[in-house]
This record gives sequence, structure tokens and C-alpha cells, in this order.
Amino acid sequence: MYQSLINKISVLFLLLLLGLTEVYAEDILSAREVVENFQDELLDVMKNGKELGYKGRFDKLEKPVIESHDLNMIARVVVGREWENMSSDQQDKFVEVFSRFSVASYAHNFKEYSGESFKFESEEETGRGGVIVHTYLVIPDDKDVKFDYMLKKKGNSWKIINIIANGVSDLALRRSEYGSILKRDGYDVLIEKISEKIDLYSKQ
Amino acid sequence: MRIMSSKLKRIVVVFLCAQAYALSGCTTTANQDLSVSEVDPYEDINRKVYAFNMTVDEYVAEPVANAYKTVAPDVVRTGVSNFFGNLKTINTVINDVLQGKFQQSAEDSGRFLVNSTVGLGGLLDIATDMGLEHHEEDFDQTFAVWGVPQGSYLMLPFLGPSTTRGIPGAVLDTAANPATYVGMPVQVLQVLEVVNARANADGALKFIDEAALDPYVFTRESYLQWRNNLINDGNVNADANDDIDELLELEEAFFEENDAEKLTDQAPDKN
Repeated sequence: MYQSLINKISVLFLLLLLGLTEVYAEDILSAREVVENFQDELLDVMKNGKELGYKGRFDKLEKPVIESHDLNMIARVVVGREWENMSSDQQDKFVEVFSRFSVASYAHNFKEYSGESFKFESEEETGRGGVIVHTYLVIPDDKDVKFDYMLKKKGNSWKIINIIANGVSDLALRRSEYGSILKRDGYDVLIEKISEKIDLYSKQ
Repeated sequence: MRIMSSKLKRIVVVFLCAQAYALSGCTTTANQDLSVSEVDPYEDINRKVYAFNMTVDEYVAEPVANAYKTVAPDVVRTGVSNFFGNLKTINTVINDVLQGKFQQSAEDSGRFLVNSTVGLGGLLDIATDMGLEHHEEDFDQTFAVWGVPQGSYLMLPFLGPSTTRGIPGAVLDTAANPATYVGMPVQVLQVLEVVNARANADGALKFIDEAALDPYVFTRESYLQWRNNLINDGNVNADANDDIDELLELEEAFFEENDAEKLTDQAPDKN
């Protein structure tokens, strides 16, 4: 009698434990999984690129880009010290336009498929709690392109904060570019230029 | 040959001195205006040269390259870049050795031998098919490995982006390229190489045009990062860590700010 009760309890306990680990596994994707899930989405959009059209690609990528990237952080780092000189309305507007631009760039650049695939190479921790995921974009009959993703933990999940393609850091590149425009022409021109690009992408 | 090497040595020494001078100037001005790029003190002049280069490209290089592309099939274009690429392999081998990459120098020598013979004088890149990978090494990279600082970013008329260290590097690269010394047919072909290179760069130039908000800065940053990547042989870790450090400092400042806001929000409850 007691024996069976104990059995039942232990079974229940085990089930509970299993359930917990499942929840745990579902909630916290590893940095590698975040990157690989995103790359799968990209490949999927590339494969259907023509049928989807720009608008279709944009809509399909919007959620994956926003979920896997820490766009707030990226936007903030990209404008550098100028961030403090912006009003909070300007900051919000910038994050909004910048996020749209990021999705638009993906929708514009990943529109065709000719047998490409992503290959995971390795993963390493950086000094202060970040992770770099090293991957390759394998292009048939061409040299592999190295894609290194830098991720940071935000709350409970890993988020991409930088992509380094063949050694060229997207974050550093944009930071110099945006910094220079802010300094030379100011905030309004920057927003205008980004909006122009988004327009241009949507028409192609 | 001896005279030449001493001449080259002098060039290098002069540039190294110039660099030391430029650097000492750099440390005193670095903190004055943080918004000005430290690597690009001549930005105003460089931008003018860049605009000039783009005009030349628009009216001369691009039309010529486009005409060439319609006339020359892909096979010819690949052949031309293979041929000149093969001649540059000698320079690669020299710089492999100067950087102490002996294994790689053996591979590159193998590449040169295979492509010069079986590859019909370099027209075909058989070595890559055999698994002998192409490496990119030059004197600028060697100087960097030896610890010579990069100096300032320079936009050269017709030639495009370079740095103070890149100029003596390019002089030595040219000196180590057999195409510099052979007679007429190859020299005419070198014009072809330039046209060919422009035709092959079409995609990259279009990408800059499409992606860049400020094409000048985009070109500068991607050029400098690309060179750095070559110097570090594709190992991003060192740079990435610098980058991430800077980023995390910003992030910490950001969170401190947020925390401060939260604290002030909560302050009435706490008291």
C-alpha cells in the first residue's frame, strides 16, 4: 500500500522533473540554436525568394529578425555617444526606423537561392559573458563566407548583437557611418537617408 | 639588383620615420575631437579624391569594364585574373617566408609550380582544384606582422584606398611582381588586368552603392577591416574582443542609466 503510493509519488515527481527540464529546454535556446534557427529562416526565405517578392520576404523575416537580434542595443551602439544628445522621441523613432531598415536589408539581400547553406564551426565565450558563434555560408563553386555572430544574453535569451562577415564587423561599419552622418549632417538627415534606402529596397 | 634593394630600403626607412612622426602627432590630438576618425586625419582631402575617383569610375572605368564584359566571356575573365594572380604568387611566397609561415610558403610555391605548368602558364587555376588554397599575403601585411603601425588612411587618385604603411608595401609588391619586368605583350595585358579587376568588382561596388548611407565612410571602414582581417589571417577574435569591450562599456552605461531611472521610480515606494 505505502509502497505503491511511494511509487506513484516518485513517478509523479519524475514526470514533474521531466516537465521542468522540457520547459527549461524550450525557454533557453543556446546561442548556437538562436543563430541556427535564424539562418534556417533566412535560407527558407531565400528558397522562396522569387515567389515571396520583397514584401513577402519582409513580412516573413520581420519576426525572426526582431526575435533573434537585440535591435534596441544595436541601434544604440550604432549611434554611439550621440545617443545621449537625442530626445527620447528621437531615440524611439531611430530604433523604429533602424529596425525596419535591418529587416529591409535582409529582405533585399537574401532574395535568391542557388544551393547555399550554413555550416556551424565552433562556439566560444568572450571575456564578459558574450558568445561568438563561428559559422560559414557555403556557396557552391565559390569561396565560403565566414559569418561570426556575437551574442549577448538579454533577460533569459541570447540575442545577436553583431555579425562579422569575412572579418568585416557590421556594427563597427555602421557605427562609423552613422556617427559620421550625425556629425556632418545631423539627426534628420540620418533618418531621411535610412528611409530613402528602405524605399529603394522596397522598389527592387 | 643590389642598388634596387638599397633604394627600397631607403623608401621603407623614410616611410617608417614619417609614420613615427605621424603617430607622435596622433597621440596629442587623439582626445581632442572624438567624433573625428583617428585613422582618417585627412578626411577632407580624401573625400575630394574619392569623389574624383568615383567620377573617373563613372565616366571611364565602368563603361570600359561594361564593354569588356560584353566582349569577353566569363572564361576569358577568369583566365586573365588567374594569369595575373599566378604571377603575384611569387610575392605571396616571399611574404609567407618574411612572416615565418613556412608551411604556407611551401603550399604557395606548389601552387605557382602547378599553375605555371599544368595550368598553362597560369591561365587555369588547377592548384585550387587540387586542394592548394589561395592565400593573400603582401608587404603591407608583413610590415603589420613586424609591428609597423598602420598610419593614416589615404585615398589615392586612381588607385583607391590605402594607408601610410600600404604605400611602401605596394611599391615592394610591384617590385616583386614579374609582370613589372617583362616586355611588351604582358605590359599591354596589365591594362587588361585593371579593366578585368574593375569588371569583377562590379558586384561589390554595386553593393556599396546600395547598402551605404555614406559610401566614403563605408568604403573606408570596410577597407580597413578587410586589411586587418588579412593581417590576422581571418582570426576575428582579437578584433571582436576589442569591439565587444567598447560595446559592453556602452551597454553598462546604458544599464546604469536605466537602473537609475528604475530606482527613482521606485524611490517613493521604498521610502
